[in-house]
Amino acid sequence: MATETESSEVERLRQELGREHDLYLRALADFDNFRRRTERDRAAAAQREKRAYLLSMLDLLDGFDRAVEHLDEAPESIAEGIRVLHRQLLGMLEAQGVRPFESVGQPFNPEVHEGIGSEQSENFETGTVTHEARRGYRWGEELLRPARVRVAQ
Amino acid sequence: MAKAVGIDLGTTNSVVAVMEGGKPTVVINSEGSRLTPSVVGFTPAGERLVGQLAKRQAVLNPENTIYSVKRFIGRRYSEVQSELKNVPYKVVPGPNDAVRFMIMGREYSPEEISSMILRRLADDAAKYLGEKVTDAVITVPAYFNDAQRTATKDAGRIAGLNVLRIINEPTAAALAYGLDKKKNETVLVFDLGGGTFDVSILDVGDGVFEVRSTSGDTHLGGDDFDKKIVDWMAEEFQRNNGIDLRKDRQALQRLTEAAEKAKVELSGALEARISLPFITADANGPKHLEMTLTRAKFDQLTADLVERCVGPVKQALADATITERDIDEVILVGGATRIPAVQALVRKLTGGKDPNQSVNPDEMVAIGAAIQAGVLAGEVKGVVLLDVTPLSLGIETLGGVTTKLIDRNTTIPARKSEVFSTADDNQTAVDVHVLQGERELARDNRTLGNFRLEGIQPAPRGTPQIEVAFDIDANGILTVTARDQQTGKEQKVTISGSTQLSKEEVDRMVKDAQAHVEEDKRRREEVEVRNHADSAAYQVERQIREMGDRVPANEKARAEQLIHEVREALNNQSPDFARLRQLASDLQQIGYALASSASQPQPAGGPSPGARPGPQPGAADEEVIDAEFKQTR
Repeated sequence: MATETESSEVERLRQELGREHDLYLRALADFDNFRRRTERDRAAAAQREKRAYLLSMLDLLDGFDRAVEHLDEAPESIAEGIRVLHRQLLGMLEAQGVRPFESVGQPFNPEVHEGIGSEQSENFETGTVTHEARRGYRWGEELLRPARVRVAQ
Repeated sequence: MAKAVGIDLGTTNSVVAVMEGGKPTVVINSEGSRLTPSVVGFTPAGERLVGQLAKRQAVLNPENTIYSVKRFIGRRYSEVQSELKNVPYKVVPGPNDAVRFMIMGREYSPEEISSMILRRLADDAAKYLGEKVTDAVITVPAYFNDAQRTATKDAGRIAGLNVLRIINEPTAAALAYGLDKKKNETVLVFDLGGGTFDVSILDVGDGVFEVRSTSGDTHLGGDDFDKKIVDWMAEEFQRNNGIDLRKDRQALQRLTEAAEKAKVELSGALEARISLPFITADANGPKHLEMTLTRAKFDQLTADLVERCVGPVKQALADATITERDIDEVILVGGATRIPAVQALVRKLTGGKDPNQSVNPDEMVAIGAAIQAGVLAGEVKGVVLLDVTPLSLGIETLGGVTTKLIDRNTTIPARKSEVFSTADDNQTAVDVHVLQGERELARDNRTLGNFRLEGIQPAPRGTPQIEVAFDIDANGILTVTARDQQTGKEQKVTISGSTQLSKEEVDRMVKDAQAHVEEDKRRREEVEVRNHADSAAYQVERQIREMGDRVPANEKARAEQLIHEVREALNNQSPDFARLRQLASDLQQIGYALASSASQPQPAGGPSPGARPGPQPGAADEEVIDAEFKQTR
């Protein structure tokens, strides 16, 4: 027959075992969560890195866009070469899933537009994008870069 | 279970962090960013936007876009006269001299606007965690008075959050750096954010923080540094081209972006290249901007801004009635503290102390708040505290090199095993020399123990499979077991206290290894060349013996000559390693040739040992490596 001290000792140990087991399960769960989180973080980090790279390519593309606007000032052979380079760069980005989207004529939408100013316009309704200072791009489904636009007052 | 979060509700940007698996993590918001602009916009269509989206429409909708709400929260209308001149939205007096924003005919209190930001941050955190967020710790500047703190707390409540506590930003930063564990220290927190500058001096002792003094400049931050670069670029351009780019809104925007990029680059590099092709055009055609900004020039341009940091630091020291010598720790907070000149200034002002700084100084306040939230929500309690091995553990292998089995900073308990073999023919015992340390050669590391495994069946070298296992339990007790896989014979040693080194001792050993890294690498390579040459000589010799007279005479003569040369070189204390490497490679080629010629006339030739040193890969275990015990004498 167990004495009182023995049974309280058993009770104490039982409680301790419960605590330890709980800690053990927590550690297991923590590890499992950690593994999943690491996987998720790694994928996200790779995505972020690629995104930053594509964004810097867009800077280059912007330069080409601006160059193309001035091509009538250059000799035709040079102009054509630059147009080819421009298309080539666009093609490279497109192969990565990067696509420009139209903004002019669309209602201003902060999801994809960044407003840099408003102006009087006869051709456009109030709240409509009148001018695109910088093109907007999507990368697959997500927004890569908002378009920078002026809006009709 | 609902989670508690830490929120740094900033003037320009806000950050939210959570405890995940016992570690604080900054939440990435739905736009993929770690910072959320502290901006709320009300669109003509009646929509309410918070964060990046609100910022994007701010220019178009300035009267209905509230930013810098932190400058107004908990203050009286009569106190904010200078602030409201700087903002394009309408600030009006409310009941009892309270501040109200008038937006499309409706009045909003600063608490309401702040609550919208807090709600958004909590929602982003909930999405990130996949759990509901109910509790939060929110930070405020140390100089906030009771009214400002109460108003911030109310903002949390309006957002539906249970505000566990309002804590000071410098205290949160100190928590993030683990300074709460220090005893009786004086800490200076230097916080240079996007638009505000705060200096605080704290007393830290056994988890209690006391703010001794605060000072700062409510209109100084990283944005001012960008503006200096913009002005410099625009003035240079104007001098050369006669056009002021700042008058062209579109060009100005490109300049501002390029300036920020250059500033960031100059934190790591000594110069930054700025290229803005087709920045503008005149009658003569397009104009391009291309310049290089050196760090020296940047420092010169921003010297007055850096100088403006001096006064508040001195003031804070004076108010706390201490001198720079009384400061034990310095903490850098805010993105602009990445600027080298700012860091240099802080060092100078604090008596040359190395500041605590992280890669993301703009996130430390939120991280500290999350740690506090974790403690208050009881989350930190349930975590099993795990230790790490401070130094690598391994054994000595052929040629006196250290082969690591457990790398330093591995979380314990941990177990790792590898299969080794013998270095000599008919070797019947191996000595296991257990080592601790980071150096490449065994003699430079610390010996933890030695034992011998005997009774190995005589066999050619490289044939026996001896598994060596390292097992460290949660208390840091290391058991090393060597087991002969053929006979099952086993020998082991138990070493306690392998993790109980003083921090100084560990630091010394790690530093020592770093100091010798080149030399150690060379020495290890030399040992490897020796081992490789010795093994090649051994293998070819054995092949010749086994093949007997089937070896063509000329090849045999050449092989024997090479073996002789290798042995001679190996006897030399400091042989010509380049030559030895060449000899070994030549021998190996002969070995391959012999092996292929042997396999043709003799298809059932048994397992050829090949020309590789050590055991054959895949012979028994994936973990077999090219390392052998040194010979037992």
